[in-house]
Amino acid sequence: MTGLRRIFRKNEHERQLDTELRFHFDSLVAENLRAGMSEAEARRKARLEFGGLDQVKEECRDSWGMRWLEDIYRDMRFAVRSLCRCPAFTITSLVTLALGIGANVAVFSVVSAALLRPLNAPDPDRVITFLSTNKQGSGPGASEIKFNLWREQTRVLQDVSGYTTSWFNLTGVDRPQRVDAAHVTADYFRLFGLPLSYGRAFTVEEETPNSRNVAILSHTLWKRVFAGDPRMVGRVISLSGFSYEVVGIIAENAKPEAVTPPDIWVPFPIDPASDNQLHYFQATGRLKPGITLGMANAHLELTTLEFRRRYPTALSTNRGDVFSVQPLRDVQVKDVRTAFFVLSGAVAFVLLIACANVANLLLVRAGVRRRELAIRMAVGAARQRIVRQLLTECALLALVAAALGLYLGIIGIHAILAVNTANLPRLGLHGSNVTLDWRVLTFTGCVTVVSALLFGLIPALQTSRTGIHTSLKESNDRAGLGISGHRTRSLLAISQVSLALVLLIGASLLIRTLMSVRSTNPGFDAHGVVATLVTLDPKFTGASSVDRINQDILRRLHALPGVEQAAFTGLLPLEGNFNSLPVTIVDKSNRGAPDGNSRWMTVSPGYFNVLKIPPVRGRLFTDNDRRDAPRVAIINQAMARQLWPGGDPLKDQLIIGKGLGQDFGETTRRIVGIVGDVHEDALNQNPLPAVFTPFEQRGSMRLSNASPVWRMWTIVRTRANSGSFNSAIESELRQATGGLPVAPVHSMESVVMKSTARQSFDMLLMTVFGCAALLLAAVGIYGLMSFTVQSRTQEMGIRIALGSSSAAVRNRAIVQGMRLSLIGIAAGILAALGLTRLLMGFLYGVQPQDPITFVTVPIFLAAVALLACYIPARRATRINPSEALRWE
Amino acid sequence: MAALGPIHGYAIAQRLQQVSRDVLQVQQGSLYPALHRLENKRYLAAEWKATETGREAKFYRLTAKGRTQLETEIADWKRLAKAVRLILETTEGEAG
Repeated sequence: MTGLRRIFRKNEHERQLDTELRFHFDSLVAENLRAGMSEAEARRKARLEFGGLDQVKEECRDSWGMRWLEDIYRDMRFAVRSLCRCPAFTITSLVTLALGIGANVAVFSVVSAALLRPLNAPDPDRVITFLSTNKQGSGPGASEIKFNLWREQTRVLQDVSGYTTSWFNLTGVDRPQRVDAAHVTADYFRLFGLPLSYGRAFTVEEETPNSRNVAILSHTLWKRVFAGDPRMVGRVISLSGFSYEVVGIIAENAKPEAVTPPDIWVPFPIDPASDNQLHYFQATGRLKPGITLGMANAHLELTTLEFRRRYPTALSTNRGDVFSVQPLRDVQVKDVRTAFFVLSGAVAFVLLIACANVANLLLVRAGVRRRELAIRMAVGAARQRIVRQLLTECALLALVAAALGLYLGIIGIHAILAVNTANLPRLGLHGSNVTLDWRVLTFTGCVTVVSALLFGLIPALQTSRTGIHTSLKESNDRAGLGISGHRTRSLLAISQVSLALVLLIGASLLIRTLMSVRSTNPGFDAHGVVATLVTLDPKFTGASSVDRINQDILRRLHALPGVEQAAFTGLLPLEGNFNSLPVTIVDKSNRGAPDGNSRWMTVSPGYFNVLKIPPVRGRLFTDNDRRDAPRVAIINQAMARQLWPGGDPLKDQLIIGKGLGQDFGETTRRIVGIVGDVHEDALNQNPLPAVFTPFEQRGSMRLSNASPVWRMWTIVRTRANSGSFNSAIESELRQATGGLPVAPVHSMESVVMKSTARQSFDMLLMTVFGCAALLLAAVGIYGLMSFTVQSRTQEMGIRIALGSSSAAVRNRAIVQGMRLSLIGIAAGILAALGLTRLLMGFLYGVQPQDPITFVTVPIFLAAVALLACYIPARRATRINPSEALRWE
Repeated sequence: MAALGPIHGYAIAQRLQQVSRDVLQVQQGSLYPALHRLENKRYLAAEWKATETGREAKFYRLTAKGRTQLETEIADWKRLAKAVRLILETTEGEAG
């Protein structure tokens, strides 16, 4: 019979084996009886001749060859039974392990969705984005002249597409609303393989300027507003006053690579003969088959030279300014890669501490069972078999903990996503890309195996080295594991304390960073200011119409009770958007190149008052700075410092956007004032140069050629602060614009708070891990301490009996426990000194080796350790010496 | 022994004692792991039959595959025995 069949009919085989052997044995007995022996003697002689019945059975079973499967099954059943017998140990280990595994699963899922998941495009590794490198670094911005040149490089690249976003007001439907729009060139759909459920993608003809207006709807918009009507293809919708014919509908399973998936897609006309140098969109493409990244970049260096030849003033003379391409995914996650690595490392520390705890628990348990194991070895169990059994228990613990850990991991994922107001890239809308895919499950499996090895190997090795004689001779069942066992346990406790200290120091540094960032003076006063976004349709773009609307808005807002001042601006500080235009000083010896780059803010005169930005010199804008008045500009201190290091800006004039194209012209503006710096981009970045122009004097400058709408922030300083006030503002705005949708009003303080979202996120996660590590380490020390006290009860009883005070005995125990903790703290300080360098990119206002943190956190941890030692040691004071001496 | 016809374990043990004239003294139980191993490798085929006493016993007989293996093993053993004998005779000759 084959081995496999043996398993399925095991009982049958056992019965047969028994019958066969008994036949032989009984025949021997019968033979001996015939030879004249007594019953008892016959049986005894037969047993000697035959050998032990059970032993022979064992050997036969061994020869069957499929033994190991049955062994595993039997080991499992035994493991289950013995684990159920001590529920305290089992539950503690499972919870500890599950927390460690779950935290790792949660963090890895997020990291995997952002860093490891490939782009949603066919052949995703060959999709690249174009970068321009200059003195300040590389940026993915593209201008029309650059794009046209890149498009011509068909030897190495294909499907070169442009992409930018804007907003339209969708009118003519039940509920007019603002929709997010993506402007894309015709190749974009082919590049990313975006599937359509109805209709078609854009054609090349639709990409030329002045062609028919067409649009493609996203699936969510189509379902939400148009009820999923398939006949939408061919219908005309009204976007910001213009008619667009719907030519296609995106399929439901499409996942465009964007932080917010667009509602509407429209063509992006780029004039091949354009001379526009404004960087306002992004360019992507695909490497041609057979072309590597290196080849493409080498080719693009030559392209840069060609570009310099055609447009001598467009790039700086710095030799390092080149074009390059990088895989799109790498560019998208560049900022967060380090953060994710640090977080993954931190959560791995937590897992290590958890494994150390479980290893300690297992060592205690093995110690308690030492006599039982010794007896089993004495009656013939192979040492190997016993070790295998212990490993089976560990494997079982690990498997159950992994299942629990997956469940906890799901909870952890939801928690992380709830905290993620930081717009981490590539996670999808509401974290929809973070799933338990095969990567996460494989990771969970590996983590489980590694943990099982970590905490299982040490006790198993300990057991296999224990001698039978010493175990049996031990009179005290719970006498600890001897010197070597104690050393292992101490080592584990020390490492736990070190790891916990490293995490706590990291968390403290991040907490101080957040506090530092939050307490930075932004340069303006956000208290009492609210803001809302208005998008003005092209039907207002006649310059005078827009100005008239804005005057109307301001008049209405000033009429509301409780309003101190109202203004509007193109960019809101700390909101996340930015621009950068070249600035040229008139009458300076410029070689045709701009003198510097600066942020361009177009504002109404009340802007500085609303935000309480202090004037430093000169004057602010007034109502007299109208469209027909002399052109003026105000700069900030950063620009004054950079471009007039020793001079006086108020004597000079400047030109904004010279050379960017015909929209920008060469208007000279007189500088009439200098204002204080504002942290426009982020609280932890130094203010960059900025130039302000009155809105009415903007001329024909536009920030984006793709979108015909004007996007303006309306800000209001008010004493009132209530919901009804906000809705009053919204209604006034709606009336002024003739029914256009208005974004909800939110407070400036919430904008400032939101700008620190990344630091909050980092700090929150690190603190959670640090606290978990602290708890686990404290539990570890507590456990070690109480075990030591218990196992030394006899010794302590003797000391007390010989005259030592119970307090002295207790203090002795505490000192021994604290010695371990202090060694751990010292090791942790050394490790932290090395590791906090990794945090350098995250810190603000605090050094990686900040002395205050490195002193207070260890003291805190030592205090916690002292408490963890004190509580069990106190039990020592209650020892009754006579009982202790008698205790076995 | 199974080559001579189907036989059960006890009978094998008895014949072993007879034939080797009690030189081979083994624990009789250790036969069975060997028998089962040979059965696994399909050198032996087994079936349950009733014995003279009326009880059921497992009878083993040699298969064709087993017969081939047996002949190979016998040839190997004879070759080994001859080699050992030659070495010993030569040594004796030298010693003597």
